[in-house]
Amino acid sequence: MAVTRYTKMAYGSADEMVFGTAKQPVSYGFGIKVGAGRVIPELNYAPRPGSEKDPAKLRKEYVDYISKDVLNRAVTLGFPDVQLETEWVSQMGNPKMSTPVVEGQKEICEKFHEEYGINCAVRHTIPDQREAEEGLRTGMGGSHAYPEALFRAAEVACESGADVLSCETMGGKELADYAVTNGDITAFLFGVGYLGSIDMEYVWSEFVDIAKKNKAVAGGDTNCSGANVSMFMAGGYLDNDVQRTFSAVTRAISAARTLVAWECGAAGPDKDCGYEGPIAKAIAGKPCAQEGKNCQCAHADLQGNLMAQVCDLWSNESVEYHPEFGGSSVQCWLGSLGYEVSLMNTAIATGQDKTLRDLYMISDRARGPEGYVLAYDNAYKIGQAIAENGNDLYLRAKAAGLTAAKIIKGGYEGKEIQLTNKQLDVLNAVIKELEALPEETDKFTEYCAKKYADLVPNFNMKNYGL
Amino acid sequence: MIDYKGVDFGTILRRYDIEAQNETTPEAVAKKMLPADPVLKNVAECVLYMKFKDVGPATAEALKTHKALDIINNGLVVGMECVAKLYAEHIYYLPEIMMAAKTMEIGIALAEKQIPGGRETKGTVVMHAAEGDPHDIGKNIAAVMMRSSGYEIIDMGKDVAVVDVVAKVKEVKPIMVTGTALMTTTMTAFPRAAEILVKDGISLPFMAAGGAVNRDFAESFDLGIYSEKAPQTPPIADKIIAGYDWKRIRDEWESIVGGE
Repeated sequence: MAVTRYTKMAYGSADEMVFGTAKQPVSYGFGIKVGAGRVIPELNYAPRPGSEKDPAKLRKEYVDYISKDVLNRAVTLGFPDVQLETEWVSQMGNPKMSTPVVEGQKEICEKFHEEYGINCAVRHTIPDQREAEEGLRTGMGGSHAYPEALFRAAEVACESGADVLSCETMGGKELADYAVTNGDITAFLFGVGYLGSIDMEYVWSEFVDIAKKNKAVAGGDTNCSGANVSMFMAGGYLDNDVQRTFSAVTRAISAARTLVAWECGAAGPDKDCGYEGPIAKAIAGKPCAQEGKNCQCAHADLQGNLMAQVCDLWSNESVEYHPEFGGSSVQCWLGSLGYEVSLMNTAIATGQDKTLRDLYMISDRARGPEGYVLAYDNAYKIGQAIAENGNDLYLRAKAAGLTAAKIIKGGYEGKEIQLTNKQLDVLNAVIKELEALPEETDKFTEYCAKKYADLVPNFNMKNYGL
Repeated sequence: MIDYKGVDFGTILRRYDIEAQNETTPEAVAKKMLPADPVLKNVAECVLYMKFKDVGPATAEALKTHKALDIINNGLVVGMECVAKLYAEHIYYLPEIMMAAKTMEIGIALAEKQIPGGRETKGTVVMHAAEGDPHDIGKNIAAVMMRSSGYEIIDMGKDVAVVDVVAKVKEVKPIMVTGTALMTTTMTAFPRAAEILVKDGISLPFMAAGGAVNRDFAESFDLGIYSEKAPQTPPIADKIIAGYDWKRIRDEWESIVGGE
């Protein structure tokens, strides 16, 4: 599959972007149309510990309990659309465990669609268990053969009835972990922005072919393993591990990586936990799934309202299946999601969508640096920086990071966002470091390959075909 | 876009991080803790300010006049204790901990060469991330903190099979084994491993930690104890050295992790 780089913005201005509408809507499943004028709730869940013990138990948990509960509650509350997302547990790498789940979820969606007319579909997010120390590419050996297992899982998912194929790929993670724990922005740029993008191309070219062959939709990815680690370690106002100015810059860099799935031909929607979605959507115009205020069961972040600003699917991230006073956990969180989506869709139907978008955004604009760079006007500027350098994986990721850092600096100087002294110190250091990096990709690669060879455990250029 | 100029964000949110920021300098905190001996102070300051290029020459210079153990315990380790204090007071953050630990390890490696048979550690701890779980950043951070606190760490990495964990515990007889998991379906490996250990007559604290794990789960199986955050691991290990078994750690968990 040929890779087509984005060098132009899909949207003419930031203001064109709004929730529920994407330049390139996607249809799949039983009547689901994403980005076609209304937002759709996407409910994600985790089975109870112990249910992974055998195929029958796992199928029962996912199909008879979770899926049925969700679909029932969607009908009960009058939601016209619902998307399920099954993030495969590691045991589902075995087709005996995964096939009955995928087939069973397809069947129950069809049943509810036929009986009630509800639009529904299932996204299957397969696990990337590849480990840098054993090799990220097929044929590189390793006792687990995880690269082969990754592509096999994609085939099993699509052959068994997945409507959307997604993944949270791990390329660049060995450098990202080092970068975040050591406050090394160059390591993040190299690992996620450059090598991670190369790995995305390797993986998603194959995923797109597999999805097409089986008439499934190749959705998209997320830099959960890098930028989300950074964001959650930066945490909230009581946390003191990573500076939030640092994590905001890693988020911008991650957008250049997430974009690659779509450059390989994936259609969207991308993954909910990819908080870089507003940047990627601004560039590509493909629908994005997001999460925020209604994913408190899984994540507490500092931009819970803001993340709804331009979403096409609105997600709860994940919740373990268990009883609550209001029903099962998946039913309760679907209710939370569904009513929020209903508000968004009411805003669209009454012509108030841009007003609600702005209220979402403004309420979190000054809560932290990450929300500040993801505010749709700033996200658009970062998107422009990526597109202007679109043909060079290194330069575009660097431009994204540097643009984000300067946006925060400008916001601080303009008294729009406050920073602690430490956050400001780290921001200034990041700008200085990024500005000092080479302009040529070859020089940058050579510099980093040498610098991180001994510093980063399990770092191996061969994992990236270099 | 709606005009938000002039909006008082103070009515919408409260920036507790700005209000609570500690403007004390590292120098002011360390002043009360650094050794008086200028040679040892120089070594400690290398760790405190993360001068990993200078710590080797400083340690070598100190070895001309001081015993290796003195340099380690009263120079390098004191520098790291200053760093831990600064971290606790939100003046230093994780990257400073990681870089200071790296600096200290360079100095210790050099000084240790002068100690016949090497330096005695406080004890050995086996660490791993659960079978099927590729997330090990928390374990890696805890390992750095444990090494900085004087423990020998056997890091088994991530996605470690239950049988391998059990075999390693039997082989090296650690004071504690730790496991981290980010997924609820992988954390079930911990009770499985603990059950085998108990069946084979081995009783040691099995620390369960990581994003998926809560205290209730960690204490749901025999041997299980909990650590919520990486910095809690060394004080718990210190209590094991002091003779606490897994039941007593559970009973006194709040006071242990609270530093009492």
